[in-house]
Parts: sequence; C-alpha cells; structure tokens
Amino acid sequence: MLDDDLSVHIREREGVAIIDLIGDVTTFAEEKITSAYNEVSRRGARNILLNFRQNDYINSAGIAILIGVVTEVNRRNQRLAVSGLSQHFQKIFRMVGLAQYIDIYQDEDEAIRGLNAAVA
Amino acid sequence: MVAGARRGWVKIMANVSPGADPVERVVELHLPSRLGYEKVAMDAAASVARRMGFSADRVEALRTALAEAVTNAIEHGNAHNADTRVLVILTVRPSELVVSVADQGFKPIDKAKIAPTPNIEDSFSRADKGGWGIWLIRELMDEVEFTTAPTGGNQVRMVIHLEKQP
Amino acid sequence: MHKVSAPLSIELSIPSEFGYERVVREAVASFARRIGFASERVEDLKTAVSEACLNAIEHGNAQMPEMRVDVNCVWENDVLMVRVLDHGLKRYTGHVAPCITSRVHGEAPPRGMGLYLIAQLVDTCGFESSPEGGNVLYMSMHPRRMA
Repeated sequence: MLDDDLSVHIREREGVAIIDLIGDVTTFAEEKITSAYNEVSRRGARNILLNFRQNDYINSAGIAILIGVVTEVNRRNQRLAVSGLSQHFQKIFRMVGLAQYIDIYQDEDEAIRGLNAAVA
Repeated sequence: MVAGARRGWVKIMANVSPGADPVERVVELHLPSRLGYEKVAMDAAASVARRMGFSADRVEALRTALAEAVTNAIEHGNAHNADTRVLVILTVRPSELVVSVADQGFKPIDKAKIAPTPNIEDSFSRADKGGWGIWLIRELMDEVEFTTAPTGGNQVRMVIHLEKQP
Repeated sequence: MHKVSAPLSIELSIPSEFGYERVVREAVASFARRIGFASERVEDLKTAVSEACLNAIEHGNAQMPEMRVDVNCVWENDVLMVRVLDHGLKRYTGHVAPCITSRVHGEAPPRGMGLYLIAQLVDTCGFESSPEGGNVLYMSMHPRRMA
C-alpha cells in the first residue's frame, strides 16, 4: 500500500546541500524531511536547498514540517532556500509567512546562483 | 452505510433532494477515513471546477482548501476510525461551486481553532507547528461556514465564486 | 504503518449528463494511484470507467440529467472492483460488440465500441442483476497487468 508519495534524496552541488523532495509534502513526509535535514546539518551544511519536484500537494501538515526545519535553520544560522514550487505554493508560502525565512527560487540553477552570490 | 460498503455496494442517491434547483448539478463522493485519500476528493473537485471554467490558480486554491477540510474530517471528526466515512458534496451552480465536507462527528470541531490567525513567529517556539488548516481554508475560499451535518457530524461548507473572465 | 481491517472503498454519484464521466474518471484514477496501480493500468482504468459511465448516461438513464449514475470502487484482496449503476431505462446485458474489423467493413455500426473497449482493458467485466432494476456493470482489475 502506498502510504506516502514522497521520496527524498540528498546531494551536494557547488557548496550547497540539496535535498530533493520528489512528490507530496504531507503528514507522511515528516520523518524523511527531518532526517534528511539532520543528515546535511551533521555534514556541516551552511546553505540548504529544498528542491521540490513533481510536487502538486503540500498541506498544512507539510507546512508545519517546513516551519520545523526553518526553526532549526534559524537556530543553527544556516541559510534555507526552496526551488521548484508551483506558483500556487509560492503564494501559500508567502501567505503563511515562510517566504520571510526562505529564499524562493524558480529552479535549482537559479537557487545555486542565488545562494552562492549571497555568500560571496 | 458501512455495512453496505463492506458488501461493496452503497445506495447513495437518497442524499440528493428531489426538490433541488434544476440548474444545480450535484456530485457526491464518499471516502474512507484514511489520510492520503483526500487526494481523491481533490482530483474530483478539480475536475468539476475546471469543467465550470475556473482558472488554474482558483482550481489550485480549491484543491488546497478541500485537502485541509477532508484531512480535518479524517483526523478530528472521524478520529482516524477506519469504519467511518467522509462525505464530500459538490454542488454546481451557474455562478458558484459549493463544496461541503461532512464527517461522522466522533469529535466536535474545536471552536477555538476556527477563529484565530496563526503566526509563524509564534510557531517557531511552539512544539506543535500546525494549526494552519482552517486558516488556509478561510484565506482561499470565498465563503466558509462550519455547521452540523444532517447526520450529526461536523460539516464545512465552502463556496468559490465563478468570476466572469474580463 | 497501520493495518486496515475493512476494505478500502469510495462511492461516487453523478448527474446523468455528458461531461460528468470526467469527474468519475479523475476520482477513480486518483483512488487507483493511491492504492498503488501502475500508471499504465490507471490509464486503462480511466478509459474503461469513462466508457461505462457514458453507457449509463446515454443508454441506462436515457440522458435524463435528473437521474443518477452511481459508481463504487472496492479495493480488497489485491483486486479493484468498480461497479457502475444506472436506472436501467434501457437494458444492455452482456452484449459485447464485435471487433473493429466488422466495423471498418461496414458490417457493424461504428459506435457502440464502449463495452468492447472495457472488455479489452480490464481483467474481468460483466453485468450483475440489481434489486432496483438498473444495469450494473462490474469491472475488476489487478494493479499490474497479468502476464
């Protein structure tokens, strides 16, 4: 039975820790996202990109998970960005206030440039 | 109804009132109380809304609001009880789509959760970072009403207006 | 992950009006994806379900929009069973139309391919008797095509 529709992968590109989130971000995503975040933090990541792919569903439980990540990112003075969100979920991020704490980019390339420019 | 579901057949036509406005069209959907199956309602409602001519971003807004309403029904109203159902009724009118979501009311809706606007700064220091669902529904829909379903459960009635394209 | 005792099911009811079969199509596809159907099988199911609903709308309910088409889907023992019920104004039990060869040769009308398509796409299908006298078309499907 398909209980969760999300797969999470970690990789690194040009000094940015990328967490690929492929699928839906709902209640079922909590453990996967939290452990991916903990893993990149353990490796010393300063710039973290949540790269959404094939995503058309984020709900309030998913938003709560992301707020949890932002809480930790703020505490550890990391920088968090997202890419690949649809226009609708970019709007939702602004409504909720997440956009004040997360840089929103259209795609991965733009996010890498943006994060590295901010560091330089 | 649940016994009927086990047999594989449920008579659902009885819920449609015979005196309904003839320009109304009603779609009914019964779902299992299991997280994840709210997607069935989201996809069905999106199909109705697209057919009515709602723009892509309004369809997305409806999907998100309905996801929250059905998730609330599964988690709270039906308390994850596998024997309960969630009923979604889509009423198509010439100028609006009315979407109502009813549960079986194992737990009444927490009135305190209906009103407040959550704040992201507050949530950083709270262990529970949730509570955005009902707020999102209110933000995204044109009309929202929390009532009691005819069956005694909680019911959320949401309306989205069809604005004429300029 | 919790075990579910009862089979998973959804029920839908639509007005008998062309276009609403799309709503059933989306809902049933969504349900099938959720229980783990391969995408190719989901596409087969969407087409089969649409055809079944179109038959119910056009024939079983004689295109009277105040009538209803009911659809239920039950997922149990690795089989998805979909039933489409109409009011049976016109009965059509068990007649599966001939293959396309006879149609392109003009030996059979070009329309009425619905039941033929359904039979090709699902694992088993057929008609059941309904206490209310309507047509009940059932279709069953496994998540993956059997070799």
